Amino acid sequence: MIRDTWYGDDEQEAGRFVPLYVLVNGRTRPQNASLDLATQVIAMPGDTRALEPEYEAILSRCWTWMSIAEIGAYLNYPLALTKLLVDVLLEQRLLSVGSPAEEPSVDRATLETILVRLESL
Amino acid sequence: MNNEEVLVAVGRKSVKVVVAGGFGTGKTTLVGSVSEIPPLTTEEVLTQASVGVDDLDGIEHKTTTTVALDFGRITINADIVLYIFGTPGQDRFWFMWDELAQGAIGAIVLVDTRRLDTSFPAIDYFERRQIPFVAAVNMFFGERLYSEDEIRAALKLSPAAPLVWFDARDRGSSKQALISLVQHAISQMPVSTRSSV
Repeated sequence: MIRDTWYGDDEQEAGRFVPLYVLVNGRTRPQNASLDLATQVIAMPGDTRALEPEYEAILSRCWTWMSIAEIGAYLNYPLALTKLLVDVLLEQRLLSVGSPAEEPSVDRATLETILVRLESL
Repeated sequence: MNNEEVLVAVGRKSVKVVVAGGFGTGKTTLVGSVSEIPPLTTEEVLTQASVGVDDLDGIEHKTTTTVALDFGRITINADIVLYIFGTPGQDRFWFMWDELAQGAIGAIVLVDTRRLDTSFPAIDYFERRQIPFVAAVNMFFGERLYSEDEIRAALKLSPAAPLVWFDARDRGSSKQALISLVQHAISQMPVSTRSSV
C-alpha cells in the first residue's frame, strides 16, 4: 500500500496526527441519545486488541463504574468526544451502561435514600 | 446496531445536583467541600459558531473556546452516585446548563450579598423550568448584613424557594445546603406519588 507523504502541520496545530473525527468514524452524535455527562459505564470483558489507545484508556479507567464526566476529566478529553468514544464502546459491548441520569426523573424513594445518606455524612 | 444490544445495568444510577451562581460566588468551593474526591474539571471545546455569535463575518478566523465544568461526587449506596456539577461561570454558556439541569434533583443557587445581581440569571433559569432550587447565601466573611426578607425581596424569590445561609468552605455547612435542596425537592413532589415498582 502506498502512503502519501504528509507535509501538513496539523499535528503541531492540533496536537495529534489522527483527527478526532476519524477516531469516531465521523460520528457527531451518540447513537445512544440518553448518554449524559453523569451516565456511568463499566468495562466488560472482550477483545480489545484492535482498539485505538484512546479507547483502551477509557476501558482501563472503567474497571469500576465511572461517569462520562469523570472519564473526560481523568483522561483530559473534551466531553463531546468522550461521549462519542463511550458510545462506540457501548455498541461493541466493551462497556456496560447504567440507567440514564435524566430519565425517569428521580423518584421519592431515591430522594429519601439520598437524604439519609447526606445526613449521615 | 440497535440499542437493545447495548448492555444496560438498570440498577446503576446517577443523580445530579447543579451548583449555580455568578463568577466568584463559591461554586467550586462548595463542590470541593462536599465531594468525596478532589473536585474534577471536565472541559467542553466549542467552536465560536456554537457560542452564538451574531454574524458569520470572519468565520475563517473561527476560534475555539473551552468551557470548564467543576464537579464532585458522593457515593449514596452500592447503586447510586450523586454528582454535583458547578455551572460554567460565564452566562453565555447556557446550552451547557440544559444538559446539567436535565433530570437533576435540583440546584443550589449561590448568593453573594455584595453582588446580588449575579444570582438573577440562575434563579430565573431554574424558576422558568420549574426545577427545584434553594438560594444559598455564602457567608464569605461570616457576615449577615441583610435579613431574609431583604434578600428575598431583592432577589424576587418566590415564597416556595428556600433561602439558607451557609459557608461554602465548611463541609458540614455545605452538606446542610445540599440537604435543604433534597428536602425541598421531596416537598415539591406530588403528594400521591406511588413507587413505580
